[in-house]
Amino acid sequence: MKKRLFAVLMGLCAASGAVWAHHSFAAEFDGNKAIKLEGTLTKLEWANPHIWLYLDVKDASGAVAKWQCEGGAPNGLTRNGWSKDSIKSGDQVMVEGWLAKDGSRTCSARSVKMPDGHRIFAGSSNPDAKE
Amino acid sequence: MQRFLILPLAVAFAICALGQGKYQPPTGPAPRMADGKPDLSGVWQRPYVPDMTKTGPNQQGMAELPFTEWGAQQWKNYHAEEGDYAGACLPFGLPRSMNSPEPLQLMQNSKYVTLMFEQNTWYHVFPIDGRPHRDQTTWFGDSVGHWDGDTLVVETVNFNGKTRLDTIGHPHSDQLHMTQRFTRTDLGHMAYEVTIDDPKTFTKPWKNTRTFTLRTDWELMEYSCEENNKSLWEGRIKVPKY
Repeated sequence: MKKRLFAVLMGLCAASGAVWAHHSFAAEFDGNKAIKLEGTLTKLEWANPHIWLYLDVKDASGAVAKWQCEGGAPNGLTRNGWSKDSIKSGDQVMVEGWLAKDGSRTCSARSVKMPDGHRIFAGSSNPDAKE
Repeated sequence: MQRFLILPLAVAFAICALGQGKYQPPTGPAPRMADGKPDLSGVWQRPYVPDMTKTGPNQQGMAELPFTEWGAQQWKNYHAEEGDYAGACLPFGLPRSMNSPEPLQLMQNSKYVTLMFEQNTWYHVFPIDGRPHRDQTTWFGDSVGHWDGDTLVVETVNFNGKTRLDTIGHPHSDQLHMTQRFTRTDLGHMAYEVTIDDPKTFTKPWKNTRTFTLRTDWELMEYSCEENNKSLWEGRIKVPKY
């Protein structure tokens, strides 16, 4: 109960988060190609100008595809209460965001959700992102 | 039951308040330097302005930009995927740095003012003692400042023309004359106005007005744009050809 309540509150907290970008979203990503990925975090790179999350995503047949998703700048995320320890390799996450224009398995993450619904690391560079 | 709710509630709200929204700036009159001029120093939270035509919290934009024919062509023909200088970590230039999302620390004495941008750990220092502009073309332009009553007026010229006004990419030329007015209205707030006067790009000057908030709970952090700019290394962001 406590855990769930905490998660809900943190979700509400994150919902008013900001967007931090060092570059044009349109240079790299397509705002018309939304994507939702569910998988296992294999690595988190916590460095400017953007954090990067690496995911193993299984398809219906069980085949694993490796994805990488860009988040916000660590500075802004830190001021919003997150850290490199907020998530760890092996965590099951759901990433919602937009695909890269080059067709690679790359996305801009609008939000990252833990299995309990607790949302972390919002911060896509998309100016239209509804945080 | 209530006992079990108090702790998670308190922790959640504390973390939430730490990060956003609940901060209250200090109150009181605007402080002054020993020479009687307003003291504008502090770490300032500014509205992120990726698009100077938009209006939002603490930001009044210019909805319709008065483009010249040349300016309209520059805007129409801009495609960030063909070259994004900011994505390549080249200097943002002063207008786009003032529009950047990370905080700004301002420091001053009777001769100089320094704008320290957390964005990419850049700084911009300029005299306020009556010296003229230097004849040097740069990414950030050349600034001189003067006091107009209690308002610091900063005039900037000599831009190299390789930068954009904002993240979305509104254009300007090397003829840009940027005027910024900083007025500390009270201890916790700064009124800010920026005027874009660029006769090659716009038929008339236009402006944005904003409010900055003093963050006594923030310190500037290091921001290395180059450290993990994998979008550039992997070819999804391209360096523009000038």
